[in-house]
Amino acid sequence: MSKNPAQSRRSIWGGAALAAMLCSSTSIAQEALEVWSRSGPQAAETYKAVFEAFTEKTGIPVEYLATVEFETQLQARAAARDLPDVLIYDQASMAAYATAGMVLPIVPEDISGHDQLSEASWDSVRMADGAYYGVPFSQHAQITFIRSDWRKKLGFEVPQTHDELIALATAFATQDPDGSGVDADTYGMAVPGTTDRGFFTWWLSSYMMQRGGSFVEGADGKYAVTVNSPESVAAVEWIQNLFCGSPSLVQPGALTNASATPFFAENHAGIYQTGPYAFANFDRAPGKDKYEVVIAPAGPGGKTTLTERTSIYFGATSSMPEEQKALAEFLISPEAQTLGMTAPGQPVVRLPVNTTLDAAEIYGDERWTVVAEQLEDSELMPSDIDFTTARLDIAETFQAMFSQCTGDIQGSLDGLAGRIADELSMQDALQ
Amino acid sequence: MTQQAGEAMTPLVQNAASRPSAGTQRRRSRPQSRWWSVWLFLLPALLLFLYFKFIPMFQGIQMSFQRVRPFLGNEWIGWSNYIAVINDPRFHDAIIHTLILGFGQSIGAVIGGLVLALLLEGASKTLWFVRTAAFLPVVTATAVIGEVWRIIYFPAPNGFLNSMIGTVGLDPVRWLEDPGVALYSIMAVGIWQGAPYNMVIFLAGLAGVDRSLYEASAIDGAKLRHRLWYVTLPALRPAMTIVLVLAAVRSLRVFTDVWVLTGGGPAGATDVWMTRIYSLGFERNQMGIAAAGSILLLLASVALTALALLITRKRAEK
Repeated sequence: MSKNPAQSRRSIWGGAALAAMLCSSTSIAQEALEVWSRSGPQAAETYKAVFEAFTEKTGIPVEYLATVEFETQLQARAAARDLPDVLIYDQASMAAYATAGMVLPIVPEDISGHDQLSEASWDSVRMADGAYYGVPFSQHAQITFIRSDWRKKLGFEVPQTHDELIALATAFATQDPDGSGVDADTYGMAVPGTTDRGFFTWWLSSYMMQRGGSFVEGADGKYAVTVNSPESVAAVEWIQNLFCGSPSLVQPGALTNASATPFFAENHAGIYQTGPYAFANFDRAPGKDKYEVVIAPAGPGGKTTLTERTSIYFGATSSMPEEQKALAEFLISPEAQTLGMTAPGQPVVRLPVNTTLDAAEIYGDERWTVVAEQLEDSELMPSDIDFTTARLDIAETFQAMFSQCTGDIQGSLDGLAGRIADELSMQDALQ
Repeated sequence: MTQQAGEAMTPLVQNAASRPSAGTQRRRSRPQSRWWSVWLFLLPALLLFLYFKFIPMFQGIQMSFQRVRPFLGNEWIGWSNYIAVINDPRFHDAIIHTLILGFGQSIGAVIGGLVLALLLEGASKTLWFVRTAAFLPVVTATAVIGEVWRIIYFPAPNGFLNSMIGTVGLDPVRWLEDPGVALYSIMAVGIWQGAPYNMVIFLAGLAGVDRSLYEASAIDGAKLRHRLWYVTLPALRPAMTIVLVLAAVRSLRVFTDVWVLTGGGPAGATDVWMTRIYSLGFERNQMGIAAAGSILLLLASVALTALALLITRKRAEK
């Protein structure tokens, strides 16, 4: 039973190696630019093509990570004080990251090609203090998807007003548009009612604006809370009726579904307001010839929808400032913007921020003309202040009202308004 | 699943530790053995524990007293995070939900496990098959179970469960959407998933019941329910203690079921301790407050475990 000395030596070395492995940090010299985006697998394919073109052109290798758990993974890296060099992400998160010191300020004039971007694009990446923290990359507005085959079958025109929208949704819910012989297996609208990342707030904002209501109003870092104004209360009453009226016009489980996309794709819901990133999915199912994309039907407040933007941010811990800048300059160039729209996968540049490009011409698809037209009549949620907490609170409060149906709307909104005001005044952003 | 495996391991480890005599004998026969060789064997595990458990835990404690801003420097703010947690009405709700869910799931899973064990005890081949089938929920990933139950709970009248209760004339229920029902829907899934695990422990307990006791009581004229009450249940007491302690500690940390089924919604009706911590930390970027909530959860778990051990030991002494 005596121990073999060679064996014991090996175990010591094994232990030492393990210890070394655990204690060693990533002190190896960085060779590639680490880039993260919040993307699914299809969009990741497109990004890869864009980065390959970048590497080919500049010789700078890119280590790319696409993740849908972007925030969680980024928090972990922030805790380790080792951020990716470049982040490509929703405009909505810029203020939170900028105030936390995670992304670096940018001087637009230093970025070559900055003059090919519109004033509005640059305004979107400016914080309340006047500093710029991102480089615009992509823009679009939410648009309305309608099952054209169902609509034609039931003899309806494309809805131009909210009343016509409601009539169509009611017909979808009650008149068996899919011809299955069962009335109750189709629903009017697909609604992403999840509070995850405050997603519900984005969907809600378009209808709030169309009904003449709003969450907050203002600009340049100063906002007034308007979510409990008479116009907003009336807007919320109208939206609540979509959920709580008879028949309910939204898909069952709308408030806890992680995603509403399958309901539109799998022939359950006929109307869906979302971004043009859904084209790739819906062309496969229900099929390109079965749906249409239209400008939002107008409510009393107009037909405004939500603008969504993607921007490029520079991680604060990066040791490659020149390469960060080179990538940003490439990504806003006509070449990369075109590639981002056309490379196989899913357009990651929805509408180009580079004003020298014509999206409809590049896509050769008139649906993008609709998106471009809607973009003209769309509004960004406040992104020069950290609106994250307010966005989550709005999503949760609206979910509470719509899941209980009987709730006291004015009371709920007054409470919400108070909390948003507290949050804004903490940031010195209350008008 | 890994947690459960970890918990099941504990008795084994204790067993090994409580047999010192063999070790002492061997040590006497091998005087050249060095004291540190024991530590050498423990080293890999200790290093892993240090790196992945103890260091993060101490960082967590540190963070709970700070306003966490990795890039602007963390700021010591004393007990503010704890005060924020204790004064947060949403946290109170979450704790109440955790307790309701934990209590209901534990009791439900114990009763379910006991019934399953009594039904499926025996050596026949078919029973072996049924037992395996009954055990499947335990080894299935919770995320998958969540998706399956979301389909079962589909709130439309033609949803699976709704069409079943519809055949007996009941109105469709919005299982996961109605704030008054959602928590109990999650509880049912937890019981469905937890009962077979308890069944296995009870089966082991039942195997140890002296058969002659059954025969003796039968001769004395005891009916089935008497036999259950006076013979089976007392014999299962040790198994019952293990099951209850495990369930109670586990129930405080419930997360995946809730997150997959409702994400804490609707309207926070199913928010539990862990989902609240997750939401504060990763959605609202309030890492310090989330850390304080986690430390309180740790303290509650330790207190509950200690209490359970104390009760077990007292009973063993009797």
